[in-house]
Amino acid sequence: MLRVLLIDDTPRKIGRLKSALIEAGFEVIDESGLTIDLPERVEAIRPDVVLIDTDSPGRDVLEQVVLVSRDQPRPIVMFTDDSDPGAMRQAIRAGVSAYIVEGIQAKRLKPILDVAMARFETDQAIRAQLQAREQQLAERKRIELAKGMLMKMRDCKEEEAYTLMRRQAMSRQQKLIQVAEQIIAMNELLGQ
Amino acid sequence: MTEPATPHRHDALAWVAGSDAPEKSTLNLGFLPLTDAASLIVAATQGFAQPFGLTLNLHRQNSWSALRDKLTGGELDAAHGLYGLIYAVHLGIGGSPAVDMAVLMGLAQNGQSITLSAPLKAAGVTSPEALRNRVRQSDARMTLAHTFPTGTHALWLYYWLAANGIHPLQDVRTLVLPPSQMVTHLQAGRIDGFCAGEPWGAQAIAEGVGFTLATSQSIWPDHPEKVLGCTRAFVEQYPNTARALVMAILEASRFIDQSQENRRSTAQLIAGSEYVNAPLAAIESRFLGSYQDGLGNTWHDEHPLRFFADGAANMPYLSDGLWFMTQLRRWGLLRQDPDYQLVASQVQQIELYRQAAETLGIAVPESPMRNATLMDGKTWDGSDPAAYARSFTLHAMADQAVASAL
Repeated sequence: MLRVLLIDDTPRKIGRLKSALIEAGFEVIDESGLTIDLPERVEAIRPDVVLIDTDSPGRDVLEQVVLVSRDQPRPIVMFTDDSDPGAMRQAIRAGVSAYIVEGIQAKRLKPILDVAMARFETDQAIRAQLQAREQQLAERKRIELAKGMLMKMRDCKEEEAYTLMRRQAMSRQQKLIQVAEQIIAMNELLGQ
Repeated sequence: MTEPATPHRHDALAWVAGSDAPEKSTLNLGFLPLTDAASLIVAATQGFAQPFGLTLNLHRQNSWSALRDKLTGGELDAAHGLYGLIYAVHLGIGGSPAVDMAVLMGLAQNGQSITLSAPLKAAGVTSPEALRNRVRQSDARMTLAHTFPTGTHALWLYYWLAANGIHPLQDVRTLVLPPSQMVTHLQAGRIDGFCAGEPWGAQAIAEGVGFTLATSQSIWPDHPEKVLGCTRAFVEQYPNTARALVMAILEASRFIDQSQENRRSTAQLIAGSEYVNAPLAAIESRFLGSYQDGLGNTWHDEHPLRFFADGAANMPYLSDGLWFMTQLRRWGLLRQDPDYQLVASQVQQIELYRQAAETLGIAVPESPMRNATLMDGKTWDGSDPAAYARSFTLHAMADQAVASAL
């Protein structure tokens, strides 16, 4: 069963949406009010979807949402009784996966949440690719740095420095990046 | 950042910067714990992939079947594969539905071996003639293992037995085992011998449970062995990624073959528990071309396991792909002749390889065919695969058996 973390500080709305979610077959965990420990709550509860009211806490909620989405990525769905397209765009920019207008029928909730989760997974995959690219660049820079240090220390050419680093890494069953980090650390220690 | 010193590195950056950047930057690569997976392991761990915009994650597999299923299912993007396995999947032979496959490049040539048990050695069965006599005279059928029904080891074993007058499907019993379990089964007496990649032949000798009867390079000097395989869908969806991957592995292959020191450190790396997970002592000698057969003979092999050979080991020759199909046909694994030329030209990604190799300044042979003379004196040049498949005295082609009975 999909687990929904429902956050709101207006009990009037929660009453309707909560019963609609339960009717649609979700397990609903009710959080009254948005607190600063929301990231910890999300980590503890591990919901499949975070459902949050845009309306009452206003702009600050979106800031908190970004924080949650950065540290504990979960699909986040907004609900509101205000179908203002501007607010909707703002929410999507902040990493929100879908938008529900209050008063929605129970049977329409599930498809919306399913789409939200699918979209979230795609976003995550793209984000992971970007992170991998950044990691590659960062590793390359560290290896280049270590290679430069080694060329200076050993007074050798680039190709030879690479070969020396790789032989060292391979004979210790390590990755090249590990040996590069060791060279950089040693260089710092010796104050070169 | 310092100016790149070597021209190929400069070109490599151009791939990443321009529109030829890889469409997918993180790849999952499968391999089996064998020494001929070295170029994949070196490419992934020694900084050969980052310059081409790739991160390579290695995933060791326990069996070829698991590797195949993950490759066709998309869990693995590309893998260290048996030539015959890639073709079998493409042609729909065996336990999986047909999936269009691709051979991106050759990973290694030579370096497999046929090992027999210590009891056979004690009984004096240490030559092809002695084995043939034993097979003909003994009531109990001998059991010999290989690694996959349509794999290279099956085909080397069959070829060697047949060249020595032993029918591999009638005179002996053959079965399939994962390579890393061969030594244990040999020791337990559940098999009388096996054909597999290293270090398992050397390990059998080190443990005193077997001896090397023949090397695969004695069957066909510089024979094609493992390839870098993937689905055709992968190449079509991510052509730049596939080319970048070939380039990264070509660079790693060149590095391994560059010097004995590089080979020695490669042997040390791959011995690790995450990779081949075997004692360095079992890996190192044969990895450096130095053989002993467990019968007192030692030699430096003229055709040892090699990864580069100026690109000769990496070119996905059309004739290499064709040869495996002729042997699948010969042993009845293919019930009819496939459209040899068409299938091989679909599977072997020669154009992609050519682009990758030329960018790195690696010579690409003009002809997609190469000539070879195998242990039985038969020559193979790829010109008439259907006739070649039919040219063997020992075979398992049903239609020929019927024809000869008439």
